[in-house]
Amino acid sequence: MAAYTSDVQVTRAPRVTGTGPRRPARRLTRERLVALGFIAPAVALFAVFVVYPIVFNIQASLLDWDGVSAGTPAGLDNYRDLLADPTFHTTLRNSALWIGLTIVPQAALGFALAWLLNTRLRGRTVYRTLFFLPAVLSPVVVGIVWQRLLDPFNGVLAQLGRATGIDVLTRAYLSDPSTAIIAVIVVNVWMWTGFSMLFYLAGLQLVDHNVVEAARIDGATGWQLIRRIVLPLLKPTHLALLLLGIIGSLKTFELVWVLTEGGPNHASELMPTYLFKQAFQLQSFGYGATIAVVLLVVAVGSSLAMLRTFGSRFITGERS
Amino acid sequence: MTLPPTARRQATRRGIQAGLALCLGATLAACAGSADPEESAGGGDEQTVTFRSWSPIEQTTRQMIDSFTEANPDVTIDATIFNYPEYIVDLQTRASSGTMPDIVGLQPGALTQQYREKLMPLEECATRVWGDDWESRFHPVGLEQARMGNPDGDEHYYALPLLVQTVNLWANAELLDAAGIEPPATWEDLQAAVATLRDAGDAAPFLLPAKDGWLRNVVFLQIANNLEPGRVYQAENGEVPWTDARIVEAFDYWSRLFTEGIAQDGALALDSYPNGVNQFEAGNAAMIPLGAWWIQQSDPSKAEIAPLSEGMAGYEPFLFPTLPGGAPEPQLVGGIDVALGISADAANPDLACDVLTDWIAGDGAQVLINTFNDLPAVTGLDPQEFTSDKQEQIWTQLTQDWMPRVQWSRYFQSPEIDTAVADALAGVAAGQLTPQQAAESVQAVQDQQD
Repeated sequence: MAAYTSDVQVTRAPRVTGTGPRRPARRLTRERLVALGFIAPAVALFAVFVVYPIVFNIQASLLDWDGVSAGTPAGLDNYRDLLADPTFHTTLRNSALWIGLTIVPQAALGFALAWLLNTRLRGRTVYRTLFFLPAVLSPVVVGIVWQRLLDPFNGVLAQLGRATGIDVLTRAYLSDPSTAIIAVIVVNVWMWTGFSMLFYLAGLQLVDHNVVEAARIDGATGWQLIRRIVLPLLKPTHLALLLLGIIGSLKTFELVWVLTEGGPNHASELMPTYLFKQAFQLQSFGYGATIAVVLLVVAVGSSLAMLRTFGSRFITGERS
Repeated sequence: MTLPPTARRQATRRGIQAGLALCLGATLAACAGSADPEESAGGGDEQTVTFRSWSPIEQTTRQMIDSFTEANPDVTIDATIFNYPEYIVDLQTRASSGTMPDIVGLQPGALTQQYREKLMPLEECATRVWGDDWESRFHPVGLEQARMGNPDGDEHYYALPLLVQTVNLWANAELLDAAGIEPPATWEDLQAAVATLRDAGDAAPFLLPAKDGWLRNVVFLQIANNLEPGRVYQAENGEVPWTDARIVEAFDYWSRLFTEGIAQDGALALDSYPNGVNQFEAGNAAMIPLGAWWIQQSDPSKAEIAPLSEGMAGYEPFLFPTLPGGAPEPQLVGGIDVALGISADAANPDLACDVLTDWIAGDGAQVLINTFNDLPAVTGLDPQEFTSDKQEQIWTQLTQDWMPRVQWSRYFQSPEIDTAVADALAGVAAGQLTPQQAAESVQAVQDQQD
């Protein structure tokens, strides 16, 4: 749990230096073999399910290959083509929009809900369940339901808009290239806000009440209390949600596929949907693998950047 | 023998190095882009046939399997039916890992060609079971499309059609009757019908589920062939440019479906399945572009049938209206719904052939056609029972009047052109591209291919 604040004393192993007493070589070898034996299953699984697919993808990205017949070496042609591909540029722009417009609203709404539901509100358990419910639904189900809701011909929102005269509800958001990606992002925020709420609820319940009480005694009002005391104490939660948000944004597929299939005319295309189309519909497996490699680089790069900026302790919940 | 500590450390290191080398070797042995040796997905059991496809649906496939295994009790058919996107992933993964199923579902053109090297030519199988004149059993367009994209000089059939179809329009007969109009025969009729129906009620006059690229393409192909029969295929073959005036005009007619308010608002966000067909079957639309397979809504074995679909009582099929300056009669566009192929490395090719031919034209085919899943690829095969005269009349119209006259393919040969046309049509519908720009965008993709 990212918001967990550990009080456990970490026992550090003594640092081995070149000048210290050396253990007998035989014992050292046996210990190493035992250690290797323990980590071997994990290493094997890592090699098979992580390293091998990455190596395979990199290798495939250097081929002109339909995924079935023997491929022909293409050097870096796929990467050159990708850099010049306007649809790929659209996917990058959409990924940036997605990260910016999902993580912050989800966190803000999630925190607001958590703050309200962390009080002695009557029926709060029911509310918590209701707000979390969308996060456990299949994205396919959510996509189909929202497609019906947003249908400007016969959808619920359009009918409501026509009945009340609120024209903004009758617009064709999913079929308009200028609004399609925003519409999908809104549905995504609706779906995952409950998840952020759950994180913040857990974080709030671990906040030291003595600190909060002390702030109140010192005259902190509601907003001051949130801004100066609670939000800073929830830093590990914010950072964990940020990291999960970035990774989740980069691998989003089902919701976009069901709502727009990346359209109209690639307006809501993301890297995973474009990858799928190239690899399996256009039979350009090598090109699809190239997109996968770029996606991997972006995901690993952004995760490493976060670790470097904030340190790894926000994941374990340890205070620096 | 006891080794000294240094030698033992070296031996340990060598052991680890050998292990790593083995792992690396195993990894490289299955590297990307290599052609793997094939083995049957059925594990080599000669009385088991494996089958994977996206069509026919699971329930119907079970009935076809039961029909075959009742007559051949020592045979097991291991079948898995997927949704289409999952199926193409499964097939590609299996083909590249040497575990192709014995019988696979295929679409003509690009998909069949992608797996051509891993499929068995089927003429010998067809001749063994049906005799030398076996080709005369099939609708010609089905056989023609089965070989679509074969390299010059390769006359083999790597897939044979199981089901075929026309692409056409369907009308809600009740809504049209209530408005006092007939299914439109010309573009002007269509415009007038839409205006009348819009004034008549809340139902969409012309429900266009344009989110699906395949549907955009089949509507465009109907328009383009009604304007200038065969011109788009000439463009695909490089005989005329995509910017040919008649093709640009076809894009323009597609555009007018949106700019003149013929299609409903937000058409680009509506998929055909499930949302479009649900609306149509619920009576919320007067006309919809689909195809012959819509008759499957009246399958008597279904647990629930919508009132409009009961015996096809509420529907009327019709062809896309003729266009000013175009062909005098509406053109028939269609082709294969699903074809079947046999893996070149099937454990028991003769048994796989027996299953395939049974499902195409034997007892299994009868079971399949009894469900009205789509039209049979072979002529003279009809359901054993009709639930209404209307259903029988529509079936006869589709199988005897329309299907034998299908001349134009509902598919493009190349997946790149298929996608380029679908994208261009989306761009036009969204107002991002003019018809001329749409045609130029397809030509640009064609130029890249050349």
